Amino acid sequence: MLLRVFLRYRRTVILSVTLLVSFLFMTLQVRQEGPLVDLVERGLVLTATPFLKLYAAVTGTASRLWGSYVDLRRVRAENLRLQEEVAALRGEVRRLAEAGLENARLRRLLDLPATREFDLVTAQVIAKDTTNWFKTIMINKGSEAGVQRSLPVIAGEGLVGRVVEVMPWTAKVQLLTDPVSSVGALLQEQRVTGLVTGARGQTATVKYLPLMAEVRVGDVVLTSGMGGVFPKGILIGTVTATHRKSGALFQEAAIQPSVDFGRLEEVLVITGERGVGPMGAPDGPPGGDR
Amino acid sequence: MTRFLLGLLLVTLLQTTVAHRLGVAGIRPDLYLLFLFFLAFRARPEAATGMGFLLGLYQDAFSGAPFGLHAFVLSAAGFVLSWAAEGVEATRLLPRLVLLAGSGVAVGALGHLLLHFFRLGPPASALLTVVLPTALYTTLVGAAILGAHELRDRLEVRL
Repeated sequence: MLLRVFLRYRRTVILSVTLLVSFLFMTLQVRQEGPLVDLVERGLVLTATPFLKLYAAVTGTASRLWGSYVDLRRVRAENLRLQEEVAALRGEVRRLAEAGLENARLRRLLDLPATREFDLVTAQVIAKDTTNWFKTIMINKGSEAGVQRSLPVIAGEGLVGRVVEVMPWTAKVQLLTDPVSSVGALLQEQRVTGLVTGARGQTATVKYLPLMAEVRVGDVVLTSGMGGVFPKGILIGTVTATHRKSGALFQEAAIQPSVDFGRLEEVLVITGERGVGPMGAPDGPPGGDR
Repeated sequence: MTRFLLGLLLVTLLQTTVAHRLGVAGIRPDLYLLFLFFLAFRARPEAATGMGFLLGLYQDAFSGAPFGLHAFVLSAAGFVLSWAAEGVEATRLLPRLVLLAGSGVAVGALGHLLLHFFRLGPPASALLTVVLPTALYTTLVGAAILGAHELRDRLEVRL
C-alpha cells in the first residue's frame, strides 16, 4: 500500500524529501549543531580531494617546468640588473645593520620582546569557492598538520584570511574579501583603527574609521591585533578610495588587498607565535575580528 | 549513474580550479547549474531532483555557503528544469537558452532569499550585481557548448 502511494506520488515525495533534508542541513549548520552535517560534508570533500590534489600537483609541476624555461631566457638580463642592485643593497645593508643595532639597544632599554617569529605550516591551495556569493579557498593541510579553526593565514604579500573549517587533510580558509569576513585593521600612518570587510570582486572596505582621521589614497592598512585572531602588523593592503557620507558617524575606505587572490597558490598558516604560544581562538565567531 | 558521478567530479574539479580563471569582475559561470541543465533534458523529474540534490551538496562542500543551500536550490531547479524540458523541443536552441537563463536567475534569486532567511544575506543590489551577471555568463557558456554541439551535428550530416 505504502509502496503504491510512493510510486504514484514519487515525484512529489522525492522533491519534498530533498528540499526538507537540504533545509535541515542548512538550519543545523547555521545553528552550529550539526555533527551529522560535518560528517556528510567531510565525506563529500574526501571523495573529491584526491582529484584536486592530483590536479594541483600536475599543474604545479607544469607551471614550475614552464617557469624554469622562461627563467633561463631571462636570466642574463636579470643577472646584470641584480649585480647593480647588489651594489646598491650592500650600502643599504650597512645602514640597516646600524639601525638594527640601535633598535636592539632601544628594545633592551624599553624592555620590549624580541622580533616576532611565527610557527608556520605551508599549504597549497587546491580549490577555490564554487559560488559567486562567498570567497573561500581549500588548502591541502588540515588537523593532521596542526591546522585549527580560526588560525590566521598569510602569504608572502600579506594577510589572506582565516581558517573556518578543518578536516583531517584539508581546511577551508575564508578570504579577507569574503562578504562575511571581518578583520581588525590599523592605518599605519594615521594610527587609527577600523574593520576590514569583504566587498564585491577582489576588493575590501575599511569601515568605522573616525571622521577626524585624514585617510589618503595609498595609506597602508595593517592588522590591528584587536580581537585576538590576527597578530598585529600583518599587511592587509593599501587605500584606493575614501568615502564620507553626510551625517555618518564614521568614514569608510576602499582598499586593494596586497595579496592577489586570483593567483594564490601557496599560503602559510600561522599556528603559533614563538614566545607567545598557540594562535587563534578556536571557539570564536566565524566572522573574524569584530 | 557512473557517468553522472564522473561528470559530477569533473564539474567539481572545473568549478574549483578552472572557473575562477574565466571570471570577469569576480563573476564566474555556474558549471553545476549548466551540468544539471543538460542532465534535465535526459532525465525524469524525480531523477533530476536527486541529481540536483547531489550536485548542490558538492557545490556547498566546496564553498563558504551554508551546507544544503545549493542542494535545496538545485533540487528544485532539477525538478522544474526536467518538467519544463518536456515542453521544449530539444533541437531548438533559443527556447533552451531562454530556459537556461531563466533557471540561472531563479536559482540565484532563491539562493539570495535563503541567505537572507539565515541572516547571511548580501544586499538586495546583489540581485543585479551577482545573480543576473552569473545567469548571463552561465547562459553564454551554455550557448557556446550548444552552438559547438549543433555545428558538429551539421558537419556530420554534410560529411
